[in-house]
Amino acid sequence: MRRAKKIKINHHSEFDLDLAPLLAVMVKLVPVLLVSSAFVQMMVIETELPQVVSEAIQKQDQDKTPTIIALEVDGKDGFNIVVTEKGQDKVENVPMKDGAYDLPALHQKLVAVKKAHPEIFKLELNPDSKVPYKEIVKIMDEVRQAHDPSVKFPVFDTKQGKNVDTPYMFPEIVFSNMMEG
Amino acid sequence: MSRRRRYDPNIKKNSTFALNITSMTDMFTILLVFLLQTYSTSDVQIIPETGLRLPSSASQSNPVEAIKISLSGEALKIDQTKIADVKNEDFLPQDLEEKDSNFIKPLFEELDKLAKNSSDKAHVKEGRILLQADKELPYATLRKVMYTASMAGFPQLKLVTLVGE
Repeated sequence: MRRAKKIKINHHSEFDLDLAPLLAVMVKLVPVLLVSSAFVQMMVIETELPQVVSEAIQKQDQDKTPTIIALEVDGKDGFNIVVTEKGQDKVENVPMKDGAYDLPALHQKLVAVKKAHPEIFKLELNPDSKVPYKEIVKIMDEVRQAHDPSVKFPVFDTKQGKNVDTPYMFPEIVFSNMMEG
Repeated sequence: MSRRRRYDPNIKKNSTFALNITSMTDMFTILLVFLLQTYSTSDVQIIPETGLRLPSSASQSNPVEAIKISLSGEALKIDQTKIADVKNEDFLPQDLEEKDSNFIKPLFEELDKLAKNSSDKAHVKEGRILLQADKELPYATLRKVMYTASMAGFPQLKLVTLVGE
């Protein structure tokens, strides 16, 4: 029987990898990405609400004697959280800390308010005329949802017939003093 | 006198050479990763106004098609058209209604014109506005824009913010 021819492999040989096609692809990709790049990313404040939360907000709007949660922002006194329930106001103050708004304290107080009123998703924001816009945006960040991922609020889902958890606190923020003179 | 021998470099006339493009490929790879990171998936592109510092927020909602209003410490603009002047963080008295100090007359007229001329557009029909406002402006100045916009039939106000600090 004829012996199979042994193929000689030189294990010490070197070869050059042809990078030209890869470079050609990259040269085409880079201008495409340069055109569609956003070097300054901008977003809008508007919360995409889950179906369950939207339904809860609609239900709240239909309520004839709703519980109203309002947040007054003042440059001297700090925050006043006003909860109007059955026609009675309950005011809680979050004072200024070292001349600045105490946002962590506000967040904690609002988490407690939300736990007491899980069916409310709307918050009426009443900033003072002198409050800078950047502070208003920071306050809106504190109000919209819980920062701690372990903190959840129950919402009743009519389709499933049980409570589901959401991180949203007050995603619907209304500037209620906008139309005042 | 001895004649100097002419230097004759040893060049092969029909030789080819291989260009080393490894370093160039490295550079392009880094560039590609950087550009992929900054790639925008948003449908609407907002051009930042010069001299306007936007506030930053944790919001992750992409901008939608709307009428773009910008309010800086110097002027109020719709797209790139100047509507009213801003001085000392407030509007000039001649631009405001005498009886109602929150009502900006030129803004109302412009928005009213847009509502009538572009009523077929969805964002105008729904009354959507994208507001770019300077972060140092007080709420009183912003409130005037919000108030006038809602009076002109644009109640859906979306505040434009920067991502992160």
